[in-house]
Amino acid sequence: MQTTSSSADTDVQADNLRRAAIDKSVKGPVLFLFLNGAFWLMASTILGVLAALKLFAPSFLGDCPVLQYGRLQPTHLNALVYGWGVQAGLGVMLWIMARRSGQELKSGKSVLYVAGIFWNIAVTLGLLSILFGGSTSIEWLEMPKWVWPIMLAAFLCFAWPMTTMFARAFRPEGFMVSTWYILGACFWFPWIFVTANVALHCLPGLGAFGAGVNAWYVHAVIMLFFAPVAIGSAYYFIPKITGQPIASSQLAQMGFWALACLGGWTGMQHYMGGPLPAWMPAIGSLASVLLLVPVGVVGLNHHLTTLGKHHLVASSPTLRFTFLGALFYPISGVILALISNFTTGPTLQFTNAWYGFQIVAVYGFFSMSVFGAIYYIVPRLTGCEWLSVRLIRNHFWFSTYGIATVVITSLVAGVQQGGDLNHPEMWDQDFYQLVMNTQPYIIARAVAWGLITWSNIWFLVHLMLMVAGLGRRSSAPTLLHHGHDESSLPHGAHA
Amino acid sequence: MSNFRTFILALTASFGFPWLCLIIIPAIKYQALTPVAYDKDKDGVEGFYPPAPINRQGQLTYAREGCAQCHTQMIRPTQLSLDGWHKGWGQDQEARPAAPVRSNTLLDYLGEPYAFLGVQRLGPDLTNYGWRAPSRQEMHVMLYAPRQRHDWSNMPAFKNLYEVRLAQGPKSELALKLSKPFAPEVGYEVVPTPEAEALVDYLLSLKKDNPIPGITAAAVKK
Repeated sequence: MQTTSSSADTDVQADNLRRAAIDKSVKGPVLFLFLNGAFWLMASTILGVLAALKLFAPSFLGDCPVLQYGRLQPTHLNALVYGWGVQAGLGVMLWIMARRSGQELKSGKSVLYVAGIFWNIAVTLGLLSILFGGSTSIEWLEMPKWVWPIMLAAFLCFAWPMTTMFARAFRPEGFMVSTWYILGACFWFPWIFVTANVALHCLPGLGAFGAGVNAWYVHAVIMLFFAPVAIGSAYYFIPKITGQPIASSQLAQMGFWALACLGGWTGMQHYMGGPLPAWMPAIGSLASVLLLVPVGVVGLNHHLTTLGKHHLVASSPTLRFTFLGALFYPISGVILALISNFTTGPTLQFTNAWYGFQIVAVYGFFSMSVFGAIYYIVPRLTGCEWLSVRLIRNHFWFSTYGIATVVITSLVAGVQQGGDLNHPEMWDQDFYQLVMNTQPYIIARAVAWGLITWSNIWFLVHLMLMVAGLGRRSSAPTLLHHGHDESSLPHGAHA
Repeated sequence: MSNFRTFILALTASFGFPWLCLIIIPAIKYQALTPVAYDKDKDGVEGFYPPAPINRQGQLTYAREGCAQCHTQMIRPTQLSLDGWHKGWGQDQEARPAAPVRSNTLLDYLGEPYAFLGVQRLGPDLTNYGWRAPSRQEMHVMLYAPRQRHDWSNMPAFKNLYEVRLAQGPKSELALKLSKPFAPEVGYEVVPTPEAEALVDYLLSLKKDNPIPGITAAAVKK
């Protein structure tokens, strides 16, 4: 008896040491990515407020060309996608990949720092170029064409060590769904990014087909980069916090391969009824609706894994954010199906609903999952606990209500706008009615982004304090709820 | 997935297939597109379809200012929307044209490096704006002071494309006819920069409802 218990103790200790060594090996680059990402997130939400205000009152802040809607809106979305999304995503991917495959980051840490710095320089210059008149007006690729090779190289510097970790730890019998998704994201993003950039910036001009490639790019980045990172993170943290294994490995595999097969077909339905050959929007529409299958399967699997442990959602910040993010995955899928099918699609085409989809996917689904991951990862890297329960709670509720408002108002505005555009009475009217009808929604959007900005400023401050090592010195994690259930957090949740 | 190599292979295949079919092959095929000649006997018109490329210089300004965020350039077919019946959105400026404006084809945008089909439709569609455009002078006024014409307009004022300068000698005939409160101070005038002229040239060149050889051209002739 005595011996087994002490050997178990040694095992736990050895495990903890191994984990600490892995954490230490990736600490610098991961924190660098999180901190810069949080900065860009705050910048993006402030730009979101400004863009909404300028859409409603175009002369607000004067007629300065730098702050016109046509330049602000792309800057806002590019900051969200490349400044925050890809950057914070890389941080989460690197940490989960290292932990899940049990590999330390052996060498090349300085390469990661340099890559991170160059990524941020590229994003800064790219966004400034959009504001100062260098926009290409190609959605999500508005940054000037010299930016993408730098970003690609920086991304590959991060993708390479992740791939080697994955390859070293690959075990056919021990199926690891979270690292599958993360490796997929490492693999798909550069492919999509190179294809779209070469096609749109280097080929001699694709005309209207270029617009189709662009729509494909946006959808593919959402479905094959943002979605896999967020799902991978949810598959890692939900079992970890609840202490229950993933409910079904069959469902997990099915969800993965269905997403992998369908994701690349989506996109062209964005221009349904347009100049593209008719089969392209048709197949895009088909794939987007079929995506409901993997989306539902993953949603079901997450639900089954959380089943019976829902009280932990109240106490664990990580699980709370991850749970909400996981909840937004089916919602994003349904919205995608709504804007993509040929029945409701033409009404929602060219309306605010498209903005609503981008935000629900990148912010509601992806960012919420990443927040959850950050609340788990950072204390383990900095060796101190989150300072304030109130700040985390603020962050959660302001983000949740803010995002829900942005998404719901955008969708309703889209229905209104699409109805106006397709109303028979509109045939000889100017756009007066349409402008007046969308105004309330745009004001609501500005207010909502304001709420989110408030939450993000505090998130950034909180994160900065943590990185500076000024967190709580305690062995107990910061929980949102100090109740009877605190002791029921499984041991693994602290590791 | 029995080993790492199979796994990577499956990843490559599952994404590579749509990538090849949807992007690569169509992109290569697109390079072979050329203008089609009209058949004088069948179509009743001469020349090529599409007849003339758009003004690229002005399109760069269109891109830079992000016009595509609010203006589309794509007429959808009547089974999906009422775009085609909208007054003035095609060549026929009559209130109730006999036939709807036709939806666009890939060839309509031939010669454009990138077609700005648009993100949202917060302002009117510009596919065939060239047909309904007012005079150059009025277009400049709309770009410089959109709220002179409609006080409810939510279009930004592109003052950066115009120069406010001291009026010297006889008044320039290019000077914009602005009314209060948009007019400059007394003794000053507002004139378009070359960029604004190029943008107007571009907007005037937007005529994407030319008859299609062998299809609509013959129908129009009847």
